[in-house]
Amino acid sequence: MAKPKAKVDQKKCLACCGCITVCPQDAISWVGGRAQVDPKKCISCAICIRTCPVGAISGDIQ
Amino acid sequence: MNLKYDVVVVGSGPAGSVTARFAAEGGAKVLVIERRAEVGVPVLCGEGISRKIDAWKILEGKRWIAGKMDGARIYSPDKTCVTLSAEQAGNETGYVVYRDIFDQELARSAIKAGAEFMMNTKALGLIKEGDKIKGVKAEHFDEELDIECDIVVAADGVDSKVAQWAGLKTRLDPKDLETCCQYTLTDIDVADAYCEFYLGKEIAPGGYIWVFPKGKRIANVGIGILASLSESGMAKKLLDKFIENDKRLNKGKTIRFLAGAVPVSNPAEQTVADNLVLVGDAARHVDPITGGGLTHCLEGGKIAGEVIAKAIKAKDYSAERLSEYEKGWKDAFGPKIKRNYLVKELMLEMDDKTLNKLASALEKVKFEEISTHGLVREVAKHLPISTKLNALIKHRKEIKEIKKK
Repeated sequence: MAKPKAKVDQKKCLACCGCITVCPQDAISWVGGRAQVDPKKCISCAICIRTCPVGAISGDIQ
Repeated sequence: MNLKYDVVVVGSGPAGSVTARFAAEGGAKVLVIERRAEVGVPVLCGEGISRKIDAWKILEGKRWIAGKMDGARIYSPDKTCVTLSAEQAGNETGYVVYRDIFDQELARSAIKAGAEFMMNTKALGLIKEGDKIKGVKAEHFDEELDIECDIVVAADGVDSKVAQWAGLKTRLDPKDLETCCQYTLTDIDVADAYCEFYLGKEIAPGGYIWVFPKGKRIANVGIGILASLSESGMAKKLLDKFIENDKRLNKGKTIRFLAGAVPVSNPAEQTVADNLVLVGDAARHVDPITGGGLTHCLEGGKIAGEVIAKAIKAKDYSAERLSEYEKGWKDAFGPKIKRNYLVKELMLEMDDKTLNKLASALEKVKFEEISTHGLVREVAKHLPISTKLNALIKHRKEIKEIKKK
């Protein structure tokens, strides 16, 4: 089974850009002023999930 | 629509505006583009700045000052307090500012010098001829713009797209990024003008919690934690817990909540290329201990603007010509950032017990200088010998490099 990908909850995102800055795959970009993960580029490393100060990114990735 | 300028600055934060101002003063035709609708908004900052800024005479008036600070208190994990007060240090402390007004004053000074600003204008990419940068593609509301220019300034922050489009490395290691959030709380029992810092692994791993008063009964209360030590939502959870347990703060009302990311890395290795200059957070010009970057933005922006103006006059936009800026900021604050980066690494190795011991040793010290430098000097004196030796061995190469300069 494919690994679950990180996903940004657009309602929680405060656009701090932390996730974008630490993503090793350049998989996160601004869409409508909020961060959005490109699932094709995401390697499920969970760095963005851990970085998010408000817990807006999920993905059940360990 | 096609436009033509000598210089396009992407981003209207302090580094962008100051660069624009000094480039325009030197005779360059400058355009600043800003994706947001208002300069300085939203505020993404703890809003503390050293009073050194007075000597530079870059800002006019006093509207940008929320409060003059009488000193700072640093609390170790067991709440031992190290006090740095203005009395001890000849009034050399700091201000808490209104960053929105602060940024707008800097923009006004750039406009006064002849720079133009275009708001609601998002950079979409660089215009290139082969590898050569020829300008910026942008969108102003629904209108596409091709803005031709000789020099592009990347003043677009920690996640600089301009630097990325130019092919520079912009990704930061999680151990070099602080993930932050902050409340502005009103109706609180904080009356005196002291900036407070709270350290400890349980309080803010790899960072600190700050309480910066913005006036009577109002303060910025924020947290920065190292991304490499963070878990999902940890910054906000720890900050909420801190506020809940602080009797002065827990009845406060929120009038602003924001999140941000602060680079605490070494400066960018490359801050110029042909037709390109990086300033501010994009250049990683942030003190890795405090996470403060405003003074570097002003100092570095001035150097960048002056070098850019000269390059425009000489019609030479090469990396070699622009490297005068790189040399300039390296002389001004390069070694300081590198040294403080080593201190940051060293502090990460200290457990709460060591921090408590250190704070007790410093509790009675009369500080001659209120600055990270003054503090670091005292900390160094009181560090356990084993910690000092470990650091020396681990960072031997970097220390040598800094000493050479």
